[in-house]
Amino acid sequence: MIRLNDIVVKFGDFTALHGISVHVKEGEFFTFLGPSGCGKTTTLRTLTGFIEPVEGSVFVKDKDITHVPIEDRNIGIVFQSYALFPTMTVYDNIAFGLKVKKLKKPEIDKRVREIAKKVDLSDEQLMKAVSQLSGGQQQRVAIARALVTGPAIICMDEPLSNLDAKLRVQLRNELKKMQKEFGITTIYVTHDQEEALTLSDRIAVFNKGVIEQVGTPNQVYNHSETEFVCNFIGDINRLGPEIVDGLINIGADIDPKKHNYMRLERIHVNVPPRPGELVLDGVVDSLEYYGLYIKYYITAGGQTLKVIEKNDGVNIYSPQQQVKVLINPAHVMAYEPKGEEAEEI
Amino acid sequence: MSKSLDKRLKAEFLFRIIGLGLFVYLFFGFMLLPCLNTLTSIFTTKNAAGETDPLAVIRFFFAGNMGKYVWNSLKLALCLVVTVNIVGVSIVLLTEYFDIKGAKILRLGYMTTLIYSGVALVTGYLFLYAPDGILTTALANAFPGFNENWFTGFNAVLFTMTFACTSNHALFLRNAIRGIDYNTVEAARNMGAKPFKVLWKVVFPTLIPTMFSLTVMTFITGLCAMSAPTLLGYDSINPEIVRLAGSSTADEAFPQARAALLSIILAMFTIILLTVLSAYERKGHYLSVSKTKTKLEKQKITNPVANVLAHIYAYVLFVIYMIPVVMIIIFSFQTYSAIRMKKLDLSSWTLVNFFGQEDYMYLTSRGQYKVREGSISGLFANDATMGGIKMSFMLSIVAAALACIIVVVACNYIFKHKGKKSGVILEYALLFPWLLPTILICYSYRTYFNSESIWYVGNYNLYYAQNVRLLIIMAYTVVKLPFSLRMIRASFYAIDEELEDAARNLGAGGFTTFMRVKLPIILPSVLAVFALNFNALFTEYDMSATFASSYGTSYAMVIQAMCAEEGLYGYNVNASGRRCASTVFIMLVSGLILYLVYGVGARDLGERLEHRAKWRRRFERITALGKKKKETA
Repeated sequence: MIRLNDIVVKFGDFTALHGISVHVKEGEFFTFLGPSGCGKTTTLRTLTGFIEPVEGSVFVKDKDITHVPIEDRNIGIVFQSYALFPTMTVYDNIAFGLKVKKLKKPEIDKRVREIAKKVDLSDEQLMKAVSQLSGGQQQRVAIARALVTGPAIICMDEPLSNLDAKLRVQLRNELKKMQKEFGITTIYVTHDQEEALTLSDRIAVFNKGVIEQVGTPNQVYNHSETEFVCNFIGDINRLGPEIVDGLINIGADIDPKKHNYMRLERIHVNVPPRPGELVLDGVVDSLEYYGLYIKYYITAGGQTLKVIEKNDGVNIYSPQQQVKVLINPAHVMAYEPKGEEAEEI
Repeated sequence: MSKSLDKRLKAEFLFRIIGLGLFVYLFFGFMLLPCLNTLTSIFTTKNAAGETDPLAVIRFFFAGNMGKYVWNSLKLALCLVVTVNIVGVSIVLLTEYFDIKGAKILRLGYMTTLIYSGVALVTGYLFLYAPDGILTTALANAFPGFNENWFTGFNAVLFTMTFACTSNHALFLRNAIRGIDYNTVEAARNMGAKPFKVLWKVVFPTLIPTMFSLTVMTFITGLCAMSAPTLLGYDSINPEIVRLAGSSTADEAFPQARAALLSIILAMFTIILLTVLSAYERKGHYLSVSKTKTKLEKQKITNPVANVLAHIYAYVLFVIYMIPVVMIIIFSFQTYSAIRMKKLDLSSWTLVNFFGQEDYMYLTSRGQYKVREGSISGLFANDATMGGIKMSFMLSIVAAALACIIVVVACNYIFKHKGKKSGVILEYALLFPWLLPTILICYSYRTYFNSESIWYVGNYNLYYAQNVRLLIIMAYTVVKLPFSLRMIRASFYAIDEELEDAARNLGAGGFTTFMRVKLPIILPSVLAVFALNFNALFTEYDMSATFASSYGTSYAMVIQAMCAEEGLYGYNVNASGRRCASTVFIMLVSGLILYLVYGVGARDLGERLEHRAKWRRRFERITALGKKKKETA
């Protein structure tokens, strides 16, 4: 469906994208994930035509659109700020693209009302000014506006970043539902890894203008291909030389020359060991209470390990308590050191 | 590349070329060349022997009394800075910061100068405070030792301009004070600061940038003062330039070159001041770091004595602002005899100053009664007055619109080419007229275009006969460019860049995006600038006086003429009454425009829709009530 081939984008002397290549399948919910300044929005803007790459090509349905003007690309966007036209009503906002295409009035009216119904906007809301709508409603208008012209692809540039935490979660679910309903190929840009993991069919993790990994949420999270990805996605424990040596001494097969990591939820406390698990003695240093779960800081094997325990009323520990820490070396993610870059992380 | 795109690019290219051509024409033809001509005219002065003597004027300047005009203007400007700031800051603090009873009414009074300014205001003050003015006469009757001549020369100009020039304070300082985060005031109070200390240490520092700009603007206004010194008799630079411009070499030594020299001196002062201002502005302002601003709450003055004094002060200022307005309104409905006697006659009111005509019977020196037909005429029945109003209306509306259009197109270009040289050049070129005093521009136009050898205007003499109207429109437009640019540019910053991207993504080209997305957003600001431009130009005096052409007699000049001709030989008997009536008319027009622009035009779409819904509900309620009544009947 979408194929980006070796895209290079430069702003003056600064190279923003160093040869990005991605293939997005039809109907897929595909996320560009990465910290700010990593090139994810630049890639999106290259796809939509706001930026012309210095090198490389953009293909949609096997058609080269690298030099096709923005307005002729047939790619819808939902902007970070929604970019709803403040001087127009909700109706006029949605109808804008159709009016530009010079469609007949009855046709415009029909299509606007159809899409409004699909995104759950009432007739009354259609006649309101966008400023009279809530954040969630505004988002639906932005989506309706992007979809009404029947684009082949819809791009969303951090559409939830302006909302409060509760609404974000609510709208995230709505977004996914809508995407499934419309079945449209969606490119989603975010820096929020939780959002990316919950929404996406596949994720491309960006860093400093290159893609570090493309994969399903499970692949990216549990089988991070690079040290950056494993650090960026979710919280993680870096296993220092002392604990690595300790684990090796009790039979673990870990390469001490590599950088070794372990996810928080893969470490267990005070449970009978399962096959492959090694046991270390530890002391609870402190805890962070999150409600749903508790994060413990436990000193074991000469370093502090972060551990997550479900707040089920059973495994509750207090500071200074002696505990048994269980680690399965098979769950260690190991990476070859890459010089300075790796050290920075 | 598709055909439609090719077409679009061609159209855009053509548009750009035409735009560039027009802009170059405007800048060189109507800004640079005429003014350079004035500058060079100084150095091509001929002495008595007919030889060119480049330094003749400069020698004359130091030998003659020309320095007096410069010094007088400087004195006025310096004094105005003090008085206008005192009054301007007071009116804003009294209505926005302190809890003064009746603040809303007070604010309306203080803001009257927005609709009542220029010549109308000066003649209004003259009407009240001149030695034979209504108030001076009343005061002299009440206090026998009262100096009837208090309102002349410097005192009169300073008094009038002090109150006339606070409009900018009322607009901009008010916004600045409203932008203060009230939490900072509360924090200071919480840390033990007394109210006065809070005002001095927390509130004032945030107002300093605005006050600085206002001070510079006030200084320039004082330096370039025209209508007040002319009408109240004070020898400052601008009236002298206008006098010299109309003089000839037969009467005095090189008047034109002297006028040019004075203009250049004025320009130099302006340039220095604006350089200082822009250097200061570049240093940056105190930006509020607050993310959650709270609205300023009015501060109660806890000391009862101070509170009473503040109230007295507020209402005295209110009276000073309101008296001329109220008197003008009242006297516009008075008969000519009451106005002539400078006494309010509550028993007879008339509309003749507005509508219709009356004959005037008077006793000649030979003891005979004579009737002058139609000598008393209303504003709408008097050809001269209506002519002035119509002329000013047409010239100002065209120029105000032209200035807005040029600036909107330019701003669109500037914002599209942010950081590029072409955008910066365009911006500075449009700000260029700011460096030049209005009078220099008009004077330059008058001398430069009074010739049939300016090829780029088709060798037409633009100062000749009706052509002068075109010249006035150009002068009005050029003079209003910098102000329009500053205001409209600010509104362009409010356009979210993503909106433009969104429109283009939805298939709109550059022109459609501009017309349907960007223009509606900036329109309220553009209309506001248009209204302010129009109001200022409609009552302007300086420029049309400099042009001094009977084909470009503006409303302000008609008003001035009315002061001079009143009642001579039984003509224009009710000139003062008609002047009052026309001032009332102008106040109504200006007020209506400001209301439409700020009151109605500033509403966003949501507010407009709510407003519409409210009216619909009201209408439905009334029709329902009507139906019910019918049914019961």
